[in-house]
Amino acid sequence: MALRSVDLAVERGEIHGLVGANGAGKSTLVKILSGVLGPDAGVVEVAGRAVRLRSPAHARASGLAPVFQDPAFAPDLTVAENLRLTGTDQGAFRRRVGELGLDGVELGEPAGSLPLPLLRMLDLARVLAHDPALLLLDEITAALPADYADRVFAAIRQAREEGRSVLFISHRLLEVQEICDRVTVLRDGRNVDTYRTAESPEGFGEPQGGAPRKRGEQRIVAAMLGERAALAVTEPRRVARTSHVQPGEPALRVRGLSDGHRVRDVSLTLARGEVLGITGLEGQGQDELFAILAGDRRATDGEIVADGRRLAARHPRDAIRRGLTLVPSDRWQALLPQRSVRENLAIAHYTAPAEWGWINLDRERRQVAEAIGRLSIDTRAQAQARRLSGGNQQKVAIGRWLVGGFTTLLCFDPTRGIDVGTKHQIYDLFRELAAAGRSVLMFTSELREVPLACDRVLVLYDGRIVAELAAADADEATLLGAAHGLAEVLTES
Amino acid sequence: MTQAAVRDEDAAPERSLLARVAAADRPTLALIGVLVALVVANGLIDRNFLSLSQLRNTLLVTAPLALLAGGQTLCMLTGGIDLSVAMTATAAAYVTGVQSADGPAVLAIAAGLLVGVVVGLVNGLAIGVFKVNPLIMTLGMSGILTGLLTVGSQTFLGGATRMSELVLELGGGTIVGPIPWNLVVWLLLGGALVVGLRRTGLGRLIYAVGDNRVACRLAGVRIWQVETAVYTLCALLAAVAGILIGGRSGSVDLQLAGSYLLPSVAAAVIGGTSILGGIGGYTGTILGALILAVLDTMLNLLTVDEALKQVLYGCIILALSWAYARGTASA
Amino acid sequence: MATATATTRPLGPAAGRLARRHAWTGAVVTFFVLLLAWNASQTRNFGAFEIQTLLASTLPLAYLAMAQSVVVIGGGIDLSVGAMLVLINCLSARFMEGTDLRGSLLVAAGCLAVAAALGALTGLVITVSRIPDIIVTLAASFVWGGAALFVLHTPGGGTSTGFQALVLGSGSAWWPALLCLLAPLLLVWAPLRRSRTGIAVYALGSDRNAAYLSGVDPLCTRVVAYAVDGLLCGLAGLATTAFTAGGSPQSTIAMNATLNSVAAIVLGGVALSGGVGGLMGPVFAVWCLYLIPNIMLGLGVDPSYGEVVKGVVVVLVVLAGGLLRARRNRAP
Repeated sequence: MALRSVDLAVERGEIHGLVGANGAGKSTLVKILSGVLGPDAGVVEVAGRAVRLRSPAHARASGLAPVFQDPAFAPDLTVAENLRLTGTDQGAFRRRVGELGLDGVELGEPAGSLPLPLLRMLDLARVLAHDPALLLLDEITAALPADYADRVFAAIRQAREEGRSVLFISHRLLEVQEICDRVTVLRDGRNVDTYRTAESPEGFGEPQGGAPRKRGEQRIVAAMLGERAALAVTEPRRVARTSHVQPGEPALRVRGLSDGHRVRDVSLTLARGEVLGITGLEGQGQDELFAILAGDRRATDGEIVADGRRLAARHPRDAIRRGLTLVPSDRWQALLPQRSVRENLAIAHYTAPAEWGWINLDRERRQVAEAIGRLSIDTRAQAQARRLSGGNQQKVAIGRWLVGGFTTLLCFDPTRGIDVGTKHQIYDLFRELAAAGRSVLMFTSELREVPLACDRVLVLYDGRIVAELAAADADEATLLGAAHGLAEVLTES
Repeated sequence: MTQAAVRDEDAAPERSLLARVAAADRPTLALIGVLVALVVANGLIDRNFLSLSQLRNTLLVTAPLALLAGGQTLCMLTGGIDLSVAMTATAAAYVTGVQSADGPAVLAIAAGLLVGVVVGLVNGLAIGVFKVNPLIMTLGMSGILTGLLTVGSQTFLGGATRMSELVLELGGGTIVGPIPWNLVVWLLLGGALVVGLRRTGLGRLIYAVGDNRVACRLAGVRIWQVETAVYTLCALLAAVAGILIGGRSGSVDLQLAGSYLLPSVAAAVIGGTSILGGIGGYTGTILGALILAVLDTMLNLLTVDEALKQVLYGCIILALSWAYARGTASA
Repeated sequence: MATATATTRPLGPAAGRLARRHAWTGAVVTFFVLLLAWNASQTRNFGAFEIQTLLASTLPLAYLAMAQSVVVIGGGIDLSVGAMLVLINCLSARFMEGTDLRGSLLVAAGCLAVAAALGALTGLVITVSRIPDIIVTLAASFVWGGAALFVLHTPGGGTSTGFQALVLGSGSAWWPALLCLLAPLLLVWAPLRRSRTGIAVYALGSDRNAAYLSGVDPLCTRVVAYAVDGLLCGLAGLATTAFTAGGSPQSTIAMNATLNSVAAIVLGGVALSGGVGGLMGPVFAVWCLYLIPNIMLGLGVDPSYGEVVKGVVVVLVVLAGGLLRARRNRAP
């Protein structure tokens, strides 16, 4: 259950921000409001009238118009045909497109041939063309170029002038502060705080330890985490941790890596026994970078040296044989949903034809039990993987490589959407692995977990590494600044 | 990245009794129940049914069907299908028949099996490496084989198509009592399939590929290898089935195995194997094949119209698939 | 196919887009023309009679190819098209026997209604039951096949000569068959294609999720698609009745016809994944498939090798299509 009890009120002509950690229930709330999911209980009222949102068409008719990150355009249809589907008037659409500053859009082009950021803007224009009462914008600025994002903000403000309401969902706190009138914070499926941004007009404070943070962000963080954890985060951290970094040949060395697309020029070194974090906003090339390292995608330039030898992987198997294993963020990419936990954990043993023969059940049972115990996976080995909770699913995804063997673990957002307790278990596991001489390369979008798990952290911006910090110096403000591409590149020794 | 698609959330709501019984992972009990009920009903209708000779007849028909359905099960577990099994079986029977006239029986059988291997390899490589849709590829293969056999039956495959004694014995003969030889063949191969799917690495991979290809690739599985293996095994089983059918009838013609195609898919579906992949197994398929055979006999005994029989088959497939769909959906 | 432009543009880009959208159909048409020319050169006195034979004997399969196209464009597949053909064939042959032209036409109308209704029912079951369409239509093929046997136990029945002439023409009058082919295209498909429901069918096949979010009702859309499918299969059955002057409930006919329909749409540019293609391409593909054995006969090759060639062609075309699509997707 993602939503337990949410009370939310958006006034007419208001831009209302909705924030919350991953798994807090933002997406589920949006799905309900857009008619994709039905609530188990509760009432949705639009303009004082209760409505039951049975389908997206119905929600649209009631004046609730969502814009998702995946634009709702069928790729094989032209833009004009897509507009016919939603009954959008072409004249109104063209007007809105013009207001967004996009000229020369061919309505006769197949939607699939248009670039994704443009399609998302068209999605917004389409929604505006219907004069909705409430705009639901779900992470609309994610992966949008800066100029498009500015136009989106202008459009949002204009919508407010026109008396419309906007529900602005984002985890970019800077933006939320900038554009919203009020902000509601969700945590664990409940709303825990609502406040006016007018009370805290400024944005972030100085990235020096000691200067007080402005109230807005502090308040959000406190609400998102709950009081205890917030204190731990906003006070200077003293992390006493042993480093297990081993000298000598690094586990992984990357030079000038590029894929001709989002990854421009990435270089990094991962030592043995090190836990290296990478962070950044969406769409800076992290998905592609990890896909290349895992062997799922080809680089056009640069080199990867794993265990002292060059690696040119054409299939994930090549990378795995060199000890580079991937734990994807999307659990639907990592797990075999209808197979048992045991099969999920053991699969890495049978991938090569040489291993297609008789299974050594004793050895398998032993290794599976070991992994389950070590990760405290809370389930029987027989259960279907899809029945597990998110946290346990993530543990199974990691556990696969504990069973299968690895030298360097590539983890993409391993703690996304997971409860705090499990998160700490995973951090501890990473430290243990480092102590045993393995290495972990971890991408995270949660800045606050960087010092808890990593020895060092790199910041990825626009396909390049723009900052490198020791974990002890990696406070959120600095990281966030670097993630936004703000000037100074801070390097350690 | 947000997705607006509706996905399974974590909680699993309570399942109704029907749904739990029809849960795709273990339909075995329910199917055995159905089978027993049918056998009893048959026995009541006609005392002779439970006689040894009648049982033998039923099993004679079931064995080749079960082998074809076994191959089909393998393909469906990976999310594919093989519409060329019937023609592969026929082709293997043809080749075995022709070779029987020229040389020793064992070589003739080997030649027939080789046909299966070649067809399977071509199918598997096209589907696995060249990513041709399985429906299309096996359809095309079916047409190619039909054409080759039509031409061949008048030229290089023409003439003597008498099966050797060995094949006749395997196809139609009896080992002891009501137990025909082809049942023994089937038991051996069927047993290998059941055990293989559960206890070998390849078996695990077959289920895994059908369940989530992306995850398999990221785990290091070269999926084309698994698919090639699957379609080759399927065609090999079809070849065995074809030789057995040819052995039973004693001669070969183009329509030899044509009527087995749809039932081979039906048996797998009835047995709980999902056409989308990842769910099912050969145990269910065996029961499915037996149910089809016994049902067929029963309907014949009741002198039910061929017409009504067909309609009943369709309804049964639909009803069972509905139950399975409900079972997995509420899971 | 109407394409709208946001601003007035010179002819270039719009024409370019038009070309790209119909590239595959264009290729098939060209292929057909070449094959036709080749066959014509082989035959002495190639004329209206040969054209009439081409149109008349391919009419049932052409209808089936159109039927399958509609369903596949919508993201599904129908393994029961052949069985529906057989059913309507038997149904119409049974009741048309001994009637005059008017009687035959009445029976035909009734059969079409039945076919469309059964198609709609199939679409309904698929959407409501969530069973994959392969299985539902497989089951349906059993049911329709059984019903056909019920209607006609053995090959028999008949039709009026007036009906035959109306549908197929005779001698060298080839235009009735062509008219019958064009009728559903112009009267049913063309308006549907432009309507919101027609666009919804394409949308469902292209991206089911985006379609749902855009307010497409999957139930309604799918029922319409399968109803049109049923209607076209009904026409195929009627054409078969006209062609063979009788009905035959053999299940092998059904199976072969279904398989041929899938081959035809693949050759005709309809993507099995949905959302792409039209109805004209598959019709031309049917004609190409018909000409191949004829040409081989003319070359002195056993026409059964035509089956082999057909199978190979289908596989190669799908291969090429898949590679093209894969290359397009890989480009970032």
